[in-house]
Amino acid sequence: MTVSVSENHPPAAPPRAAGRDLFATLRRNHLAGLVSIATGLALWEVLSRLVVANPLFLAAPSQILGAIVSLAATGELWRHIGISSLEFVIGYAIASVLGIALGLAMASSALAKQVSQPWISGLYATPTIALAPLFILWFGIGISSKVMVVILLVLFPVTINTEAGLRTTSPRLIEMLRSFGATPRQIFLKVSLPSATPFILAGLKLGIGRGLIAVVVAELFGSRAGLGRLISQSADAFNMPELFAGVIVLAAAGIAMTAGFGWLERKLVPWTQD
Amino acid sequence: MTAKLAVSALDKRFDALEALRAIDLAVAPGEFISLVGPSGCGKTTFLRIIAGLEPATSGRVTIDGKTVTKPGGDRGFVFQNDNLLPWRTVLGNAMIGPEVAGRADAAARRRTLELLKLVGLEGFEDYHPRQLSGGMRQRVNLARALAVDPEILLMDEPFSALDAQTREIMQTELLRIWEQGRKTVLFVTHQIDEAVFLSDRVLVFARRPGRVQETVEVALPRPRTLALKRTPEFVAYVDRIWRLIEDDVRASVIEERG
Repeated sequence: MTVSVSENHPPAAPPRAAGRDLFATLRRNHLAGLVSIATGLALWEVLSRLVVANPLFLAAPSQILGAIVSLAATGELWRHIGISSLEFVIGYAIASVLGIALGLAMASSALAKQVSQPWISGLYATPTIALAPLFILWFGIGISSKVMVVILLVLFPVTINTEAGLRTTSPRLIEMLRSFGATPRQIFLKVSLPSATPFILAGLKLGIGRGLIAVVVAELFGSRAGLGRLISQSADAFNMPELFAGVIVLAAAGIAMTAGFGWLERKLVPWTQD
Repeated sequence: MTAKLAVSALDKRFDALEALRAIDLAVAPGEFISLVGPSGCGKTTFLRIIAGLEPATSGRVTIDGKTVTKPGGDRGFVFQNDNLLPWRTVLGNAMIGPEVAGRADAAARRRTLELLKLVGLEGFEDYHPRQLSGGMRQRVNLARALAVDPEILLMDEPFSALDAQTREIMQTELLRIWEQGRKTVLFVTHQIDEAVFLSDRVLVFARRPGRVQETVEVALPRPRTLALKRTPEFVAYVDRIWRLIEDDVRASVIEERG
């Protein structure tokens, strides 16, 4: 990872010293985080083994790990992960493309904005996840109903952020480009789009958590496979270690994807880091 | 004298507000002209009309006899806020003009690198704006305007956001650069000493409505150094211009407070 030079750093001096400081800080921060997680897990282990002492109510981390290992060994875990991933990826990809396109349309046409704004604001504020059972009724118990729910939840933050990012482009930067005789198309490509990129990425990042929720909740309402299915069938069988195994895998996926996005943001929009 | 830039009977209204009234001006090629005046006298509006960023209500602006109504490569605008694109490097920012004109070839790149050297940014081509000081950002701003090789340079209070020392350095730098290309310059400023130091002529604007109250010819020898600012002749020019706008400035200060 390269570290950007801080704002007030004299540009003549190499940024090496500041970079090393930052690395040291990062290591300290990570250390504290790791210690915190380890302590939490230890407490959890003690609490579930000695205080609750009933795996029907609370599974210990070691039991959960055991469940993950055995589910992985039989291949069942991979089947569930595969199905959920497929639903997430298809829905998320469609929602991203559609959301950015819709945001572009709303930013470039007053009519498009007037027509779609009430729907988008309304649906964004509604807990649309409640419509998941309806989607299963309409689109069946298979993958397509989950994909639709993912689209429904991911689409709006992406659309809203894209539109807001384009709309809040600095008028001064636009004027600068105009002073060189730039066409509207050039202004869009050279100023509006790059300056909206951090907003679009933030919308996509918001979409990750919402998309994961969509997959799991939709699967809970009716499915043949997937992590939501794993969770609901484990709950029905009072198999707490397997239930937690499903939750942990989801959490890991969410954390990994969000971290990946953080990396992507540092690469694509480093100017927003200061 | 054939004028490089000519302005005749220029009026500008913003609804009820009369921003500029009956401005006439003829600028010779290579002339350095400053516009000073109190806040709200329309000097920036005047510059923006010449840049083609703002339409005039009536009157005409011509460059080499041709009427201008929109921005073009014959003028380069240096902004008060540097307006650099934060995602671009110094070189990328300076190349925006040639790029917009569809001439971002190797030759333009070479010329822009030369310009960056000229404004004292050699070695900083790959830096991003956030890594630069205010003075350096204004140097990029200037290089960006020069990169389209404009015939007229329009500068809107480019040094106003800089601290006093940096501003003085930038003034001498600007003169050094100007001596090398002798472009026609229109320079808007609040600082009377800055206007006198840089210019061949100072247009003193009055407000309500914005108009040219008086034109002061600055007959000080070139090349000029900062030592000039301490000579009695220089101080006399500054005093004379200050007396011209003093009442107007007081009025505008009271108005802004109220």
